[in-house]
Amino acid sequence: MGITVKNLVKRFDGRTIIDHVSFEIADGELVSLLGPSGCGKTTTLRCIAGLETPEEGRIEIDREVVFDHRAGIMVEPWHRSIGMVFQSYAIWPHLTVFENVAFPLRIRRLPRADVTSRVTRALDMVGLAALAERSAQLLSGGQQQRVAVARAIVHSPSVLLFDEPLSNLDAKLRDQTRAEIRRLQRELNVATVYVTHDQAEALSLSDRILVMRDGVIRQAGTPQQIYAQPQDMFVADAVGAANFFDIEIRSIDDDSLQGIAPDGTTIRAFGRITTPGPARVMVRPDRLRIATERDDVGAPALNRLHGTIRQRLFLGGHFEYAVAVGPTVLRVFSPDEIAEQTPVVVSFEPRDCILLGPDDAPRQGDVTAWA
Amino acid sequence: MRTGGTLPLTPIGVPRVARRRWISSDAALHAIFALTFSVTAFLILTPLASLLYGSFRTGGPGTHAEYTLRNWLDLTSSGVIGTLVTTCVIAVLTAVISTACGGLMAWLIYRTDFRYKRLLVASVGLSFFFPGFILAMAWVILASPGGIFNDILSGLLGIEFLRFDIYSATGIVWIQVLHITPFAFFTLRGPLLSMDSSLEEAAYASGANPWAVVRRITLPLMLFPLLSSLLLCFVLSVEQFAIPALVGIPGHVNVLATELYLLTSFSPPNTGLAASVGLAMSAVTGLSIFAQRRVVHRRGAPTVTGRGYRIRQLSLGRVRPLAHLACFGYVLLSFVIPAIALAYTSAIKFFVANPFEAAYTFRNYQQIIDSPGTVRAFWNTLIVSGGGALLGLLLGTLIAYSTHRLKPRGYRVLDVLSSLPFGIPGIVIGLGFLWSYVYLPIYGTLWVLVFCYVARFLPYATETVGAQLVQLDRALEEAAWASGAHRIASFRRIVLPLLRPALQSAYFLLFIAYFREIAAAALIYTASTQVLSISIWAFFENANWGVASALSVIATLITVTLMAAVMRAPLRL
Repeated sequence: MGITVKNLVKRFDGRTIIDHVSFEIADGELVSLLGPSGCGKTTTLRCIAGLETPEEGRIEIDREVVFDHRAGIMVEPWHRSIGMVFQSYAIWPHLTVFENVAFPLRIRRLPRADVTSRVTRALDMVGLAALAERSAQLLSGGQQQRVAVARAIVHSPSVLLFDEPLSNLDAKLRDQTRAEIRRLQRELNVATVYVTHDQAEALSLSDRILVMRDGVIRQAGTPQQIYAQPQDMFVADAVGAANFFDIEIRSIDDDSLQGIAPDGTTIRAFGRITTPGPARVMVRPDRLRIATERDDVGAPALNRLHGTIRQRLFLGGHFEYAVAVGPTVLRVFSPDEIAEQTPVVVSFEPRDCILLGPDDAPRQGDVTAWA
Repeated sequence: MRTGGTLPLTPIGVPRVARRRWISSDAALHAIFALTFSVTAFLILTPLASLLYGSFRTGGPGTHAEYTLRNWLDLTSSGVIGTLVTTCVIAVLTAVISTACGGLMAWLIYRTDFRYKRLLVASVGLSFFFPGFILAMAWVILASPGGIFNDILSGLLGIEFLRFDIYSATGIVWIQVLHITPFAFFTLRGPLLSMDSSLEEAAYASGANPWAVVRRITLPLMLFPLLSSLLLCFVLSVEQFAIPALVGIPGHVNVLATELYLLTSFSPPNTGLAASVGLAMSAVTGLSIFAQRRVVHRRGAPTVTGRGYRIRQLSLGRVRPLAHLACFGYVLLSFVIPAIALAYTSAIKFFVANPFEAAYTFRNYQQIIDSPGTVRAFWNTLIVSGGGALLGLLLGTLIAYSTHRLKPRGYRVLDVLSSLPFGIPGIVIGLGFLWSYVYLPIYGTLWVLVFCYVARFLPYATETVGAQLVQLDRALEEAAWASGAHRIASFRRIVLPLLRPALQSAYFLLFIAYFREIAAAALIYTASTQVLSISIWAFFENANWGVASALSVIATLITVTLMAAVMRAPLRL
């Protein structure tokens, strides 16, 4: 078992930053902590690293207890088998690239020959072997990031911790580095915690995603599960663009239901619920089909909304449409080109329309209510 | 990250860090903090507590005496009140003129097409490090009734009404302005440089002329820095001892600092009244520093950092030569002419104003080497400055690290304690040690001076090191922890090397400060612990201008060399 976190609680000045968080990460598994700033994801990571001392709970790394408030155990960060990549990279400017990467080995008093071979291999893996003797001050942001990764893996730690490692890179470099981090982590096969607020990063890198909010894990699951079946509006919003609307549930089947939208359209949606009544559903913009009224013939009268295109944005791979349906505006992604102000029909499959659970504290502006 | 695929980093059993159980690093840190705290508290509170005690005693330190309130009641006597008024008038004038001159120079350099910017900044730096008591001596040589200036005026030119007597309140203000203007310049330079220049450019774009921009945009935005500079210059002036001692005492113009000295050093001594005067004086400076801190925290103009844009440079046009004349005139008066006067005086047998009539000699320098007392003062100064600055730096670094990084319980108290000397004049700290060292086993040793200097200049070290520490990304240290280095190893291998430029600057600053300090030493030196500044002063007071000047020339050369080191140090990393 790579990492076990149980009932972790952390407070700052009486404010609860992490509220009884528990999860486990297996060897070789990469788990993202995803959420907006202030949700407690970085604090959770720092607790695992030992840079923060939690108030309550228990943390194990490789089955070794590194924190347990009941037993009074707090293992200092330098005694934990971790490799960490900081958001600012924290490359020491007074050392060369080689010495930066060699630091964890020198501290552990590894024989000189081993240091050289390990550092060379680590630099090789991040593609920086040629820059070993360069002063760390002369590196670009992307190079610094690679040095930080090399330094984190050089001593083969039991766990790897990434604190928003790509947030300071430009967009193109970010996409490239994302793929490389994934490949490296696969190769090292080490339990990894990856903190990010970027949904694309979390979706593409992770074996599992833990969506956090206000110090609590709202949903945990594979990227596909989280994306396709978010359990509430917050999670749906956190992992991608989403359209929400309210329906009145009329009939319930095994794992689907039928309801009426405010404009009278019959909506068939996916999800388990026991009692009829008002509910909220979600459809991803890429799951909506859009067609002019003329082309839209012969389709069933189910999950079909009539509206007008208010705005069209060309995004390269597809168009993004803002379709006014009654007082609500839906976002629709489609490769088809249709002129603005055209009356259209927006339709979707029942399995793509997801029933959401209650959202404890909906933020203002989140809800595109079907008023 | 091309992986190459063939070189996986298999765990080859990197040995885990052995858990050293002999001492938990937390306990070590607590011990270090406790030690830092106690040493600081001892150094700062001992002189203050002794002064407070002394202010309620009828007799001097170590004598049989009784408790009394008389010293405090005597503060309201007309003599003390008069001195207080004189002190404040001189200080206010000095502060206003210095801030105006320093501000004008900063504006000329950073906002106009003034031509010799680099040269002027370097020259102002020279004036900044020119010791105040040496400047005052030079001006006595220049402008005392029998000095060079007056001799030329009346003897050569026959102009009597322009005669200037440096032994006066005006003389004090004159020398203090020359001495303190660089301080105002360096205080105002930072805010002016970091001010978002687009604020002024927006005013130009709105149709304002340069004068309107200065009046309606620049000056209001610089309000808080100007206030801060005024308060700091005021404090520096009130603290000033050497200048009023050299030109005020002969002219019977006394300020609090010299009053305190006279009360202590001439019989019958009244060290009790001196203690209460010192505390009253500290109240004035302490309150000013407190006000200055409040002002700084209220930060005026929005700032930008690291922007490469240069603000449009205002063309001075026909005024430009005038600006050059004024600025370099200042440099001439505050450094060049005094330095030449000293060098001249050090190289002649008997003082004559006309260099063509003088008999030149090296005997003044020879006399320094031949006099065992002076050689001893030299060594004492080097020991106190070189070694003492090391201790001061060590303590300052420990305090800065504690208050900026460790932040254990009580760190705020340590912060306040260590910044207290900002508000305590040197002569008062000296008096405090005079009141306390009689009861300590360090009496008559150089340790008295070292302790006194370390306490007096502690803020120099904590501020310089602290400023750099604040700029160091905390993650640099955390990355070392995560890499397996415990706190002390991380501090030694990561924090310390990265602090090196600040440590070097702080060391040299402390060295120069200890080297030229005279106010704190004036009351506590003994025959065996005499230092260079005191020797110079003593020679000068005994009308031995030649030897005093020769020593001053040597001291100035050492100071300027070290200054060059200070200026260069921040460029390295």
